[in-house]
Amino acid sequence: MTMTLRIIIDVFIAIGAIFALAGTIGIIKMPDTFCRMQASTCITTMGVLGVCIGALLYSIFELHSPATAVKVVVIAALIFTTNPVGAHALAKGAYQNGIRPEKRMVVDELRRDFDE
Amino acid sequence: MIDLVIFSVLFAALALVNLYRFVKGPTAPDRMCAVDATDIMISLAMVLFSLYSGRGIYLDISIISAMLGIINTMLIGRYLDRRRWVYHDDDSKNNN
Amino acid sequence: MQKTTFSGVATTFIVSYAFWILLTWSFAAQELIAGAVVSLGVSLFSSRFFIHDHTFWLLNPIRLLKGLYYSLVTFIIELVKANIDMAKRCFGGCKNVNPGIVKIPVELDSDYAQNILANSITLTPGTMTMEITEEEGQIYYYIHWIDVQAPGGKVAGDMIKGNLEKGIRRIWK
Repeated sequence: MTMTLRIIIDVFIAIGAIFALAGTIGIIKMPDTFCRMQASTCITTMGVLGVCIGALLYSIFELHSPATAVKVVVIAALIFTTNPVGAHALAKGAYQNGIRPEKRMVVDELRRDFDE
Repeated sequence: MIDLVIFSVLFAALALVNLYRFVKGPTAPDRMCAVDATDIMISLAMVLFSLYSGRGIYLDISIISAMLGIINTMLIGRYLDRRRWVYHDDDSKNNN
Repeated sequence: MQKTTFSGVATTFIVSYAFWILLTWSFAAQELIAGAVVSLGVSLFSSRFFIHDHTFWLLNPIRLLKGLYYSLVTFIIELVKANIDMAKRCFGGCKNVNPGIVKIPVELDSDYAQNILANSITLTPGTMTMEITEEEGQIYYYIHWIDVQAPGGKVAGDMIKGNLEKGIRRIWK
């Protein structure tokens, strides 16, 4: 196929890789638990989006197989719809289990309203 | 143009770096968060490797891996949830 | 626990059969019949957990197009903006974080609309929904925000929700 299309595909996948790198740095270096969860969202949104757009273009224009394209779209949709449910459950469970950030939060209205 | 397998190896390497937080993380939600991110990055590496090698079986494995990862996260989250809060009266009817 | 109704079973059957066809992507007669049998069984047993009311609400093609527009244009724009902001923080050494939990009001009635708004807020990096409560008929979200710029209330709500709530209200009144 043409060179231009390959370059476009590589740019999309490289954008996904850059945001995955940012999320990894955030998971390693962020100061407390909830900030680490926020950083991991970077991987599950922009990393998945960039890689799946690149893979979709590759499977349509180079492999010419619609089954592969449909499966790539299904993977992206599955991750995008199910991941926030797990994030809610994990964040609420962590907060109710008594995990508080070491650095003092600016405002904490959840503690003001519910914690005794 | 860069070969797709290089990106695949890159994602796998990032997933290995994430396991540092899994080993070191002081609490259970830290570890679970790192495992979730690792799982999704392994799925992405498998998608890219499937396109490189031209075999469709890796895409199916990737779908199953993403599904099992979300079940893991929800399981640990619901286990940590112990209902220590005091709800208001009208909320307690909805929540129990 | 809700009762199993015919329209709930029909909607769940349509969705799960479409998912089967997308996964297998072969149109031989055997596979289609096996998929129909399996998704009929699944929808008979599990429709009462998923669909409660307004069963055919989203199968209207106009609302489906509006939902597609929301998820492909409105949501993606907010997502890219928030992602760039978050990546700057991560590459800058993770030092300029300013975390806190704020409480914002939400003006949406339907359960599906609240669900979609909470999931969209969680998916944009930097904000994460932690709890939903209802006080005197008004829905409140508790949101963990990585860079608190305003204490809770309407101002913080407008900054967090952005265009998302407007886009959702176009689908569900």
